[in-house]
Amino acid sequence: MKTPIFAFTLSMIMCLGARAELKWEQTTVELHPAPNDKQAIGHFKYQNTGKTPVHFKSVHASCGCTTAQTQKEEVPPGDKGEITATFNIGDRTGTQIKTVTVETDEATNQKTVLTLKAEIPQQLEVTPNFVFWKQGDKPDSKTINIKVGKDFTVKHIKVTSSTPDFQAKVEDAGSGQFKIDVKPQDTNKVVASMLTIQPEDSQKVFYATARITNVPTAPVAPAGQKPPVAPAAPTAPARPTAPTGQTH
Amino acid sequence: MNQAPNAHSPTLNVESSADATTSNVKHRTSNILWRILDFVIGGIFIYAGALKGLDPVQFASDIDNYKILPWPISVALAFYLPWLEIFCALGLVFRFLYRGALSILTTLIVVFTLATIAAKVRGLDITCGCFGHASQHWSFASHLATNLTILAALFALGFSNRLRKPS
Amino acid sequence: MKFLLARQAAVLAAVALLPAAGEAIYFRNNISWRSAIAPSEMVTLEQARAWGDAAIWVDARPDDEFARDHVPGALSLNEDRWNELLPQFLAVWSPGKKMVVYCSSLSCNASREVARRLRKEAQLSDVFVLEGGWEAWLKKNK
Repeated sequence: MKTPIFAFTLSMIMCLGARAELKWEQTTVELHPAPNDKQAIGHFKYQNTGKTPVHFKSVHASCGCTTAQTQKEEVPPGDKGEITATFNIGDRTGTQIKTVTVETDEATNQKTVLTLKAEIPQQLEVTPNFVFWKQGDKPDSKTINIKVGKDFTVKHIKVTSSTPDFQAKVEDAGSGQFKIDVKPQDTNKVVASMLTIQPEDSQKVFYATARITNVPTAPVAPAGQKPPVAPAAPTAPARPTAPTGQTH
Repeated sequence: MNQAPNAHSPTLNVESSADATTSNVKHRTSNILWRILDFVIGGIFIYAGALKGLDPVQFASDIDNYKILPWPISVALAFYLPWLEIFCALGLVFRFLYRGALSILTTLIVVFTLATIAAKVRGLDITCGCFGHASQHWSFASHLATNLTILAALFALGFSNRLRKPS
Repeated sequence: MKFLLARQAAVLAAVALLPAAGEAIYFRNNISWRSAIAPSEMVTLEQARAWGDAAIWVDARPDDEFARDHVPGALSLNEDRWNELLPQFLAVWSPGKKMVVYCSSLSCNASREVARRLRKEAQLSDVFVLEGGWEAWLKKNK
């Protein structure tokens, strides 16, 4: 009674596996670029295990920051090759997932999705990187939290403000965390300052912005305005920092 | 030739009652073992169902990643499946609606496994979503192995249920 | 006995519908049944234009695409040059503004990533992603 079901399942597995001609060594590559790397490159190796040549109809990436190159347009039977995906990191942080969709003229399995997963190491996480006061607000200090990335050790950080309108004080909160207290001299004038955050012994600098903004004159909340995203709270803790929709 | 038949019987009786005791012990032991398996498998499904039920938004996204079903169906399943798993698992643990629960769980596992295999063959990289986002770092092989083990356990429970006395 | 099994399964299937429906109602604001992005984060072209001057248009596409054409008055903010572009953006922002982030077509992730970073790093509220993206704008304006 139950054995036919098992046999069916097993034959489906065999069936699905046998027909693809282009065999990929792996369709997901995980990369760990160094902190100063500008690119992360993934190599997707394949082999034509079928009896007929395979042509690449198209190879395109999920975003503009990733380019993909095939070495050849046609793969004769038995031949091996690779698709090289180059991901330009830019100022991206955290877990980045980019995909390259490959279309071939195979009988089945024409579309293969190659996934590049890159962990971008971040020395400091600055949250928030923007603090502001409205004109006329009380000039209370606001806190910026600094968290040191888990593969890094930072003992001291230096913070300087580009204008004397704001004062920044650093406090070591322990266990890889710092607090920066930012206080405006007053909130009378509309001014802005760039706060430069530099870890000791490091070339890399991080930035935060401090501003006094003008008070909005137009009415801010028309009827029917949706409230700020409180309902999103239950889902936020469950998600990793940067999932992208299509593939994981 | 004319033996004393009465002399025989007591011995026979002793033997057969000894057999009955042994088979009773065996029966009880195997019953306990099957119940332990009920608890283990039930526990696994309650855990998996709870993980998915806590974040249905993420689960809907995980189902969508298989690219088999349209989005609205993924959303509906994301809300429904965890509860189905949990209730069936409870049925296993507390032995109510046992056969129905067992067959639903078996069907679910078979479907999840086929979907995982289909996705792998199509070259999609997905996190399975079976154990919520907790299982996203598992490899395809460990997903498959886990699913097949659970499937085997469910089949075993199904078979044993035939042989056990109906409760 | 087959009947018994089917009946039991049907009961379980029906019972599970109740909490499922309850959860669907509880989470109704977090998930859109039409598309895979939270409804509170998306905005249609009509809604965005209705905001008039209260809206700041944010172009999340790469520099070359922005240079070729963009929504008039939009600011460029992409992840390639985030550290350089964010302070420029923040200098223009003021409280009460609604940000409309767009990139090419709904399937592109750049606008969602930029929106996410604006919410998480700069802790700005009222950050929205334009439904239909740049293509929706083109259709209405060219």
